[in-house]
Amino acid sequence: MTEQGVGASLRRKEDARFLHGRGRYVGDIAPRGLLEVAFLRSPVAHARLTGIGKPEGAEERVFAAADLPEIGPIRANSALPGFRASDQPALATGKLRHVGEPIAACLAASRAEAEDLAAACRLDYEPLPAVADMLTARAPGTPLIHEHWPDNAFLETRRDEDLSDLDAVAAAKVVRRLRTARQSMAPLEGRGVLAEWDPRLEQLILTSSTQMPHVTKTGLAECLGLDEGQVRVIAPDVGGGFGYKGILLPEELVCAALAIRLGRPVRWLEDRLESLTAHANCREHHYIVTAWADAGGRLLGAEVDATVDAGAYSCYPFSACLEAAQIGSIFPGPYTLPRFRYRTVSACTNKPPILPYRGVARTGVCYAMETTLDALARKLGLSAEAVRLANLVPPEAMPYRNLVGKVFDSGDYPEAVRRAVAAVDVPRIRARQAAGECVGFGLSVFCEQGAHGTSVYHGWGIPFVPGYEQAQARFTPDGVLELRTGVHSHGQGLETTLAQVAHEVLGVDPARVRLVHGDTALTPYSTGTWGSRAMVMAGGAVAEACRLLGERAIAIGAALLQAEPGTATLRNGAVQAGEASISLDQIARTWFRHPQNLPRDVDKGGLEVTAGYRPDPDTGTHSYACHAVTVRIETETGLVTIEDYVVVEDGGRLVNPMIVDGQVLGGTAQGIGTALYEEMPFDAEGQPLAGTLADYLLPGATEVPSIRIDHMETPSPWTRFGQKGIGESGAIGPPAAIINAINDALAPLGAEVTDLPATPARLLAAIEAAR
Amino acid sequence: MKPAAFDYARPADWPAALALLAGGARPMAGGQSLGPMLNLRLAQPERVADLRHLPGYAGVEVQGEAIRIGAGTTHAAIEDGAVPGRLGAILAGVARRIAYRPVRNRGTIGGSLAHADPAADWVAVLPAFPGHAVALGPYGERRIPLARFVTGVFETALAPGELLRAIELPVLPETARWSHWKFCRKPGEFSKATACLLALPDAPPRLVLAALDTAPLVIEDATGLDPAALVTSISDPWRRRLALTALRRVLEGAA
Amino acid sequence: MTRRPITLTVNGRAETVLAEPRTHLADLLRGELLLTGTHIGCEHGVCGACTVEVDGAPARSCILHAGACEGSGIRTIEGFDADPVMAALREAFSAEHALQCGYCTPGMLVTARDIVLRLPEADEARVREELAGNLCRCTGYRGIVHAILRVLAERRAT
Repeated sequence: MTEQGVGASLRRKEDARFLHGRGRYVGDIAPRGLLEVAFLRSPVAHARLTGIGKPEGAEERVFAAADLPEIGPIRANSALPGFRASDQPALATGKLRHVGEPIAACLAASRAEAEDLAAACRLDYEPLPAVADMLTARAPGTPLIHEHWPDNAFLETRRDEDLSDLDAVAAAKVVRRLRTARQSMAPLEGRGVLAEWDPRLEQLILTSSTQMPHVTKTGLAECLGLDEGQVRVIAPDVGGGFGYKGILLPEELVCAALAIRLGRPVRWLEDRLESLTAHANCREHHYIVTAWADAGGRLLGAEVDATVDAGAYSCYPFSACLEAAQIGSIFPGPYTLPRFRYRTVSACTNKPPILPYRGVARTGVCYAMETTLDALARKLGLSAEAVRLANLVPPEAMPYRNLVGKVFDSGDYPEAVRRAVAAVDVPRIRARQAAGECVGFGLSVFCEQGAHGTSVYHGWGIPFVPGYEQAQARFTPDGVLELRTGVHSHGQGLETTLAQVAHEVLGVDPARVRLVHGDTALTPYSTGTWGSRAMVMAGGAVAEACRLLGERAIAIGAALLQAEPGTATLRNGAVQAGEASISLDQIARTWFRHPQNLPRDVDKGGLEVTAGYRPDPDTGTHSYACHAVTVRIETETGLVTIEDYVVVEDGGRLVNPMIVDGQVLGGTAQGIGTALYEEMPFDAEGQPLAGTLADYLLPGATEVPSIRIDHMETPSPWTRFGQKGIGESGAIGPPAAIINAINDALAPLGAEVTDLPATPARLLAAIEAAR
Repeated sequence: MKPAAFDYARPADWPAALALLAGGARPMAGGQSLGPMLNLRLAQPERVADLRHLPGYAGVEVQGEAIRIGAGTTHAAIEDGAVPGRLGAILAGVARRIAYRPVRNRGTIGGSLAHADPAADWVAVLPAFPGHAVALGPYGERRIPLARFVTGVFETALAPGELLRAIELPVLPETARWSHWKFCRKPGEFSKATACLLALPDAPPRLVLAALDTAPLVIEDATGLDPAALVTSISDPWRRRLALTALRRVLEGAA
Repeated sequence: MTRRPITLTVNGRAETVLAEPRTHLADLLRGELLLTGTHIGCEHGVCGACTVEVDGAPARSCILHAGACEGSGIRTIEGFDADPVMAALREAFSAEHALQCGYCTPGMLVTARDIVLRLPEADEARVREELAGNLCRCTGYRGIVHAILRVLAERRAT
């Protein structure tokens, strides 16, 4: 490792612009002649739309579905057997299927005036009974959300295995009913779209706060009937993603169609009310878990019946079933579960369509598995640690293939647990409990599949399958190294970490490396930044492009130095042969400005390389972690205070430990929100009840403790530097560990919390119920 | 969301402010509650009358045994010690826990009280004091006991056309005992239960229970109070429990 | 509603802009004066992304409307280039990895500077309490808290 290469906690190159308020987000861009859009949105969860009355005199500034027939529906099907397709109209046609569904676009010179127009529209509809509860969505007699379906479910998946003998042989059996809340991902910057038509290139230029500009481009072209050459998508600075911006938006389609139609720039900026009420779209799971164990805590088998509230439509590109169907494949977690049976349902309801949020289904699955393991531990009189150690995949079994075919690449899972427990004074917590204090200690262990590629995704049959990740590396005439990637950086620090990768390979000073990203016209195609994949995939691609670029530079440099073939090497940003040396800057200058000095057999591709990369196997890296939490509960009010939070994390080789810590800390803060604070309640009519951040509580500086992180660094054998995807990890473990700690504290009262978030009201209700 | 269109007026003196009010304008003090309501279009006034620049609207004056706090005095000023003595220390402690500092820099004691959000801090705390709200109407000033100022959820004893001009509180002896407890899961969150208790020498302890779905409950003499009897009308079990806890804490904690 | 001239001082410069009374200060700064460093996160006064200095004290620019700004002195993130406290905070924010996506950062810095100047003796608990009105969805706050504590310690040491 050098001071700036892979493994260095290099400060971020991108910081300066943000610290001076010079970030450039979509809301900062306002071309001349801009028209702002306010959407008229559905006030009800389920209804037949019978008419839209446009304000008198403003008919040509209000656009409903019938006015924009050029927009085709969004279709995100899955090839999984039994999946039911739902066409999502960009603007409602015929039916309204969730509160906040866009009905018409209202255009004006300012957003305020556009909102005036929306407020002046008249809406005629016949209300239908709302399907607001995923557990009763399929009951006979329930109104159908998509009327050509037999019932309200996108998909059901099963794995059948007869577990009926386990009752007789198990030392303990537990059954738990568990529920996680619907959340809003709530990046601080909402979504936003600016659409322009370039008449010279005959090209739509869509600037969007998106994590996946290339996928958005493909989706736009498909739905608008354009060829992809007619679409350019730009993702400028993006104020947080977390999955919220990994989607093709109805609003993007509408703004694009309007810009093409009107020949004027059109912009929509989502506000917080829209974000909270129209787009609360993640995490809502329900589980019934049955687990059997022997007296030593060894799992004998598990049965899971899981339902996910997938909302009203199937979102592009991830589809409505990714979350629920994944539960079957990831429930066994980091354990050597021997027998397993499951059923998962992607329920269709009158709520906003579900999107994968940081950790995707793992946060719910980890919560279900880990609280169930603690219930087993309590029943068997074993410690939480002992039950984990009895079941974790041992290091000597790596790489390990589990019973549903997941392959874990490397690591010492039990060691993570041992380290986490050793970092906490558990005997002191037990002593405080014995003295009557309501305190508790909880663990969670999980692994996170990241950067899973073609071999995993082709089976889903959803609108995209990640293939080879490409990167371009090229020198400018003055020797600056330009990297171009299709992944997008929106907080992950890729402008820095990919420069570190380039430095590692070429020795170029990271200050002389520029990352170009977030523009489909300038970067190679990529599925984008999602699934903890950027550092593995783009890191590998940048390394390969730089390696090839280095070979070309060496060839030129060797010729200029008149060195024997094969004797020149690249070191510290220069080509060296014996005592002689020539800098990459000089080599670049020669290629671009003094080509007369180039050798005759020079590679005519020059100092510009596009390289592709995919790990082999590409089933994904598995980072893993153990979270260990100490909580204190005020039994009079139900208030939970996190006294201590330890994360032992193994992300393989860390390209930039400071940035990895930032990912773990930020993810954990979000997980604390999932565990204790964040909930978008819906009433029986499907109305969302939290319209501001005073009602939808996000964790602040007083709610997130100073988290202690301990790193293990077991390289992945399959990736370029041994790095593993780790971006989502922090958000997976907190609900399980925190609720386990709460239930440990409540155990003397005989009380147990099962529903997230563990609000004071829910805690007090659990305590009351145990009385 | 952006507000519906409204007109803005900045009266230079009190008669002008009263005249604007008579014309239907919505008075605005610091605007920290009205601002979000305008943005959400929950409030759609035709005209807003900005009171901040009225003479004497902000500021604290000691007048013998009384302390007069201009309605436009900000929470931050009170937090930073604008009110002298024992009373000032008590009020500073309350002010520090209102919303967040950038909100406290604009939000005012009078604006908050007149807005009468049942969960608001001054709404909960001020009725504990034997003092008055000073209202100004076309006829002149009148004094409304603080215990009777807030009459319901977002309802006050101000008559149409009246403005809240100041709050008059007694100078407190250093021996005054004070206890205040509110339940928020995070700083700045609206309280889910608030109670406070003021015990002056040679006077019965005064207690307020607030953050209810009614006006605050004021008990002029809390001697021998049975907290459980006071909360029976709260239907939600958690809120009932919190209110009970609030009462118990302040009864135990007055020091 | 018609646009009216609003006169105010922004980052030391006298400005007169035309705005509807309903336009909030954040939109005014961003739209009329092209000072896009002030970010809009909620427009309810909760998240703190839009925090700017108004007449010397931090305030929410999203719930302060144009008319009320008449005659005010505003300082935005673009107006602190010569300020040594802000320079120290910027340095500390970068060193402590106190920002990721950068969206909350301008408001966070304005609040942080107020903490440093107003509460020179603040400890970690007080810093966290004072930060409660500025939400960050990326960092988990540790870097932000450490950065502010670092600047406080530096100033106490000199």
